[in-house]
Amino acid sequence: MEEPRIGVYICWCGSNIAKMVDVQDVAKFIAKLPGVIIARDYKYMCSDPGQDMVVKDIKEFKLNRVVVSACSPRIHELTFRKALENAGLNPYMFEMANIREQDSWVHENRAEATHKAKSLVAAAVYRVKHHEALDKRTVDINPATLIIGGGIAGMSAALEIADAGKKVFLIEKSSELGGNLTRVDLTFPYLYSAEYILNPIITQVKKHPNISLFMNTTIEEVYGYVGNFETTLKNQNGKDLQLKFGNVIVATGLKPFDPAVIPEYNYGKLPDVVTSHEFERLVSNGQIVTKAGNIPKNIAIIHCVGSRNPKYHPYCSRTCCLTALKYSNQIRSALPDANIFQLYADMRTMGKGCEELYTRTSRQGVIFLMFDQKHDLPRVRKADINESCNMIIELNELLSGETIEIPADLVILMVNMEAHDDSAQVAHAVGVSKCGNDFYIEKHPKLDPVATTTDGVYIAGTCQSPKHIPDSIAQAKAAAARILATIKVASVNVEVTTAFVNEDICCGCQTCIKVCPYSAISYLVDKKVSFVNDILCKGCGTCGSACPTGAIRSRHFTDQQILSEIEGILQFEIQEAVL
Amino acid sequence: MTMRINPDLPKELKKYGKGEWNECFHCGTCTALCPLTENNNLFPRRSIRLLQMGLNDSLTVNVDPWLCYYCGDCSKSCPRDANPGELMMSLRRYLTSIYDWTGLSKRFYTTHFWEFGMILFLALFVISLFVFVLPPLDPTLNAAGGVRINQFAPVDLIEIGDWIMAIIVASLLISNILHMYYMVILKDKSIKIPLWLYFKEFWLLIFHFVTQLRFSKCDTEGKKYWLSHWLLMSGYTVMFTVIVVFLPWFQTEEVHPLYHPQRLLGYYATFGLLFGLIVVMIGRIRKSGEKFKFSHFSDWFFIIMLILTTVSGIMVHIFRINGMPYATYYTYIAHLAILVPMIMIEVPFSKWSHLAYRPFAIYFANLKKAAAA
Repeated sequence: MEEPRIGVYICWCGSNIAKMVDVQDVAKFIAKLPGVIIARDYKYMCSDPGQDMVVKDIKEFKLNRVVVSACSPRIHELTFRKALENAGLNPYMFEMANIREQDSWVHENRAEATHKAKSLVAAAVYRVKHHEALDKRTVDINPATLIIGGGIAGMSAALEIADAGKKVFLIEKSSELGGNLTRVDLTFPYLYSAEYILNPIITQVKKHPNISLFMNTTIEEVYGYVGNFETTLKNQNGKDLQLKFGNVIVATGLKPFDPAVIPEYNYGKLPDVVTSHEFERLVSNGQIVTKAGNIPKNIAIIHCVGSRNPKYHPYCSRTCCLTALKYSNQIRSALPDANIFQLYADMRTMGKGCEELYTRTSRQGVIFLMFDQKHDLPRVRKADINESCNMIIELNELLSGETIEIPADLVILMVNMEAHDDSAQVAHAVGVSKCGNDFYIEKHPKLDPVATTTDGVYIAGTCQSPKHIPDSIAQAKAAAARILATIKVASVNVEVTTAFVNEDICCGCQTCIKVCPYSAISYLVDKKVSFVNDILCKGCGTCGSACPTGAIRSRHFTDQQILSEIEGILQFEIQEAVL
Repeated sequence: MTMRINPDLPKELKKYGKGEWNECFHCGTCTALCPLTENNNLFPRRSIRLLQMGLNDSLTVNVDPWLCYYCGDCSKSCPRDANPGELMMSLRRYLTSIYDWTGLSKRFYTTHFWEFGMILFLALFVISLFVFVLPPLDPTLNAAGGVRINQFAPVDLIEIGDWIMAIIVASLLISNILHMYYMVILKDKSIKIPLWLYFKEFWLLIFHFVTQLRFSKCDTEGKKYWLSHWLLMSGYTVMFTVIVVFLPWFQTEEVHPLYHPQRLLGYYATFGLLFGLIVVMIGRIRKSGEKFKFSHFSDWFFIIMLILTTVSGIMVHIFRINGMPYATYYTYIAHLAILVPMIMIEVPFSKWSHLAYRPFAIYFANLKKAAAA
């Protein structure tokens, strides 16, 4: 190993660090540590002059390692790695000591904070001595994309990619395209026909030369890694078909909840209690009638069926309130004299044009009644023979505190949207994880709601969570754009700080395979050792800490590096004690 | 107790006033702002809810609308523009029609035909009394040059008419108040009011009738309207008492000097009526203040009838003290032809009835509160 020549830079971060840490004292102290050639303090290390200083020093003092002691590496590690690269150094010959979040911001005693800063910087100096140069790695991208699900999200993404001239394999498990939207008559909030939205898209998808459609097809297993996936489909003739693709979009959607499990609503027992999906069919058939064929005088719409109740599903399905308001409008125009009751738990009408729909609806003489969704559902029962209505709904109305009865001839249950029964199978096949509500989990809930933790696999539409049509399409097109970007670059950087196996020490116990969250480790039967797929590995280090023999190690997090870091802190403590 | 809702009630109430009450989503801003609402009586929000849900029985057992004096703060601050203040006003009209057991009030409030028809009928009735019952106009009445009012309209005969009218109006109003008592107190099974409480709380009934002090608590403008309203009310009460109970003392042949109590009382009552009416008229024309923004047909009807009564009364007085006999006699007939229908319609059936319902509502609300405590 070459002689370490370390440059150390203590950042003031304006007054963020400097007011609680004596940065000059720290720099003076660090300068004395073995291997440190130069130690400076500067007002803003992340500024251009700050970075230039690092580059200049590397060249002038022939530094081969750099420590910057500033904020969290989450914020600026990449900045300084880039600076090292500019100076001709390998970017991994760098270590960052966090003396802001972990020191100046959380302490009130300047002497102690300065003392702690010295510890942290010393630890980084000790560690960086053992850093090794790591090389960037890239993999090539297959320009074809697999899209699972032929609903509005899947089709929108497919068209976006196909129009850019790239190949798309679109897989749909049913016999028709369009998904849940095929069962919708008008869309909220502008009461625009769903058919008008859907039909042109279906036609385009069907005739697009870059889209290969696979109807009545499900996915068994997807192998490979970002840029280089493959799967085998069985077509109708039972023949296997091999597909190769670089990226995957999962757009499998959701399905309606079955309200028969809720005893209060008597769905399935009373003929005129229907789900929202069944009511859509009534409306698109052009007549709102009861089972017996009569025009209903009193129509009750019950919200949150299967939603926001720990017994069924804890989450909100987002679309039902607005769908219910849409129904009010449709009923009001078809049956101007009907009494319309909205039995709701909370009216949730966020979104463009949606609050306006609520206001408009509330002017149409619709009666809004609030109930306790968690503890006290309305009860639907058959009316007595001498009543003028079919059914009676009894509820404890929250806003008035009164127990009331409502006449009803037709009851519409606004059913929740829930994950498909085979959602786990799809998740397993493509390597995405599911949350407690069986929705697929995005990479980051705020910063990256489109990608997943598996590189090259994206999610779009309601399989991620219930959402409106424009949100589904936005997400689908975002996924398509992301994929097109990687196809354009033709290659993608993969993680370099991965794990590797020392085959001489590996005893073949396969503990690492069980703990790996990315399925990146496999067992080589012939050699009887574990093998890490560098492209799937994210360098989380779980295998390394679980390995009983120390055979698996993580690059950039070797035992030696970590032990030196600890030694750095302790060395400093010993010196302080002696003095 | 489970109650059946009445989906037609919100539509029905639209006939009694104007507002997008269904738009209320119960944020409670109105109730939080209201200077008069109390913890056990959360209006106007509760009333809005009962209306939206069509719970007639709960609405009629509830005197909340009468406890409101319509400062309009609630409507000004309503985020949904649901106009809770006008709802309380509309509910007062609605409750007036509900308390009235004859069903005439409802007709007067909801159809112009009945209201105008009844005015015309009563006016013609009064005129025909003068034509057919009273002694014919004797040309000699004018000969002496003076106004012989008691020869033209003998005070003892007019007084008999007064008493007949007073008895009819009083019995209608009292029976309506008893009906209100039945709906508000007797039908409310949740509460038992011991007899002694009726006596204990009774002084408040008188107190509120005379002072209307709750009105002045309403808002910053409350004091201004309280004064004009009080002047109007006291002027009206004085005039009503004088012409019904003390007519022989009031309608005299002799023109008393200016400082005579007869003239002073008459002038005070006229001033009170005019002042109050002008404030209300300007308010309603300019739509200044929430309470004047919407004027129901019955509001204008009441104002116009009362102003005509007042003006015709003033004219009778001017003609009489200036010795103009025929002018006096004809305006006297006109005065009565306006006054009689106004009192017969307004006091038991329409807006004027609040002079009884409001103090009684406060009385009943206090009874309930005291009984619950």
